[in-house]
Amino acid sequence: MIRVQSVHKRFRRHVLKGVSLEIKKGEVFALIGPGASGKSVLFKSIAGLLPIDDGSIEVDRSEITQMDEFELAELRKRMGYLFQNYALFDFLTVGQNIAFPLRRLLNLSDNEVAHRVAERLERVNLSGFQDRDIRQLSGGQKKRVGFARATVTKPPIRLYDEPTAGLDPVTSQKIYDLILADQREVGATVVVISSDVAGVMTIADRVGMLLRGELIFEGTAEEAQRADDPRVLQFVHGHTEGPL
Amino acid sequence: MNRPSPLVIPIRLGASTLILAHQIGGLALLLARIVARLIRPRIDRHELIRNLHLMGVRSVPIVMATAAFTGAIMVVQAAPLLVRFNAREWVGWGATYTTFREVGPLLIALIFNGRVGANNAAELGTMVVTEQIDALRALAIDPINYLVLPRLISMVFTLFALTILGDAVALLGSMLTGYVLLDVSPRTFWNSVSTMIETWDLFSGLIKSTLFGGLIALTSCHFGLTVRGGAPGVGRGVNAAVVAAAAGIFIVDYLCTFILG
Repeated sequence: MIRVQSVHKRFRRHVLKGVSLEIKKGEVFALIGPGASGKSVLFKSIAGLLPIDDGSIEVDRSEITQMDEFELAELRKRMGYLFQNYALFDFLTVGQNIAFPLRRLLNLSDNEVAHRVAERLERVNLSGFQDRDIRQLSGGQKKRVGFARATVTKPPIRLYDEPTAGLDPVTSQKIYDLILADQREVGATVVVISSDVAGVMTIADRVGMLLRGELIFEGTAEEAQRADDPRVLQFVHGHTEGPL
Repeated sequence: MNRPSPLVIPIRLGASTLILAHQIGGLALLLARIVARLIRPRIDRHELIRNLHLMGVRSVPIVMATAAFTGAIMVVQAAPLLVRFNAREWVGWGATYTTFREVGPLLIALIFNGRVGANNAAELGTMVVTEQIDALRALAIDPINYLVLPRLISMVFTLFALTILGDAVALLGSMLTGYVLLDVSPRTFWNSVSTMIETWDLFSGLIKSTLFGGLIALTSCHFGLTVRGGAPGVGRGVNAAVVAAAAGIFIVDYLCTFILG
């Protein structure tokens, strides 16, 4: 379970303004909202990558704002994080990138590592890409390699920042199917940031909408479709006319 | 016409002092983190070997070229005096003494700083702006253990080894130039070296090079890991790393010369 309470974060501007939300164990939660509304900052705060200025964040009943870097590292072993801009290690090959957390976090044989890497690559439609240089990949391929790396250890908490950005509709649907299949396999808690509102609504148990650092909606996908707030309605339906 | 405020200079001085204090604090914090990790080091062997190769093996040609010319230049500069005072047979001692104690460690460290230190700051800075450092932390990997420690060890070890190599090449450069310009035979050159040079002359230079290696590693890692602001930020970080390390090398050199004698 992830519990965020009255979280504030300021850089040059006030990015998160008292955000509170609760994501239940085993649920798929979609975080939507326009660009620069604080979604990725909230993600990084949940993973303890960015310290918050005020408020509290609990992950599995542990208050992460009180943890030192070593305690955070222990927590992150149970997290899979897909970065918006891939964050792949450019000094490693595709296979080495995906094997990286396996080799460092799990005590597996070389055969088992190779098997798991091949299985992940097959699931993201990149079979045989093990020896490719990261710099040779397209944006969509990098995104899928990042997804494979984030999920290869089968972590119980998964944070996906724009998992389908740059992907064609067919591959996007395959990634959504994979998110659900993986989630069912281990009962993982999944939080997804996505600009593909229609797509992410099909897999989300609940949806939250951030606007200019404030959580203005929290509910099911159906409730989002007929929300009272005109800003939510406009964003969810993609209307050009409206308050946004 | 507006007259400049009398507070402009104090304000700028204050701002510069704050920036300097911030950077020195950052360096001290990184050093403390490194020391804490050295108690029970968990160094990635693959990263260590990769960095030893990149920093050491690939620096050999430039260090050899610099050292050879340095040795030669010292003889060229000393030649008029040695001829005037009829002290040609001292050329071996003079060239070797200054090479071992001062010029060898100093110039090789400056070359190393420009090549390896700059490259290290750029690599780490690029990893910061492409979120690769965050990705390491998200994968529960400590960036100090995984990135900084192998680089620190590689830089200290390779600069130490390169200084020994550079000293030897500079000696050969001096010997050859002495023979060509001053007609000092290699035997005479070597005689003055073996009778006048002490082991401490070599060691004091190597102690300096070890400290220079640590300094270059610390500054390049600090300025690389604190890069902000995309590609321009990487450029600024590299520039700051090279300038800070170069200034630090001269300060450490000055202090060492006093302490080591």
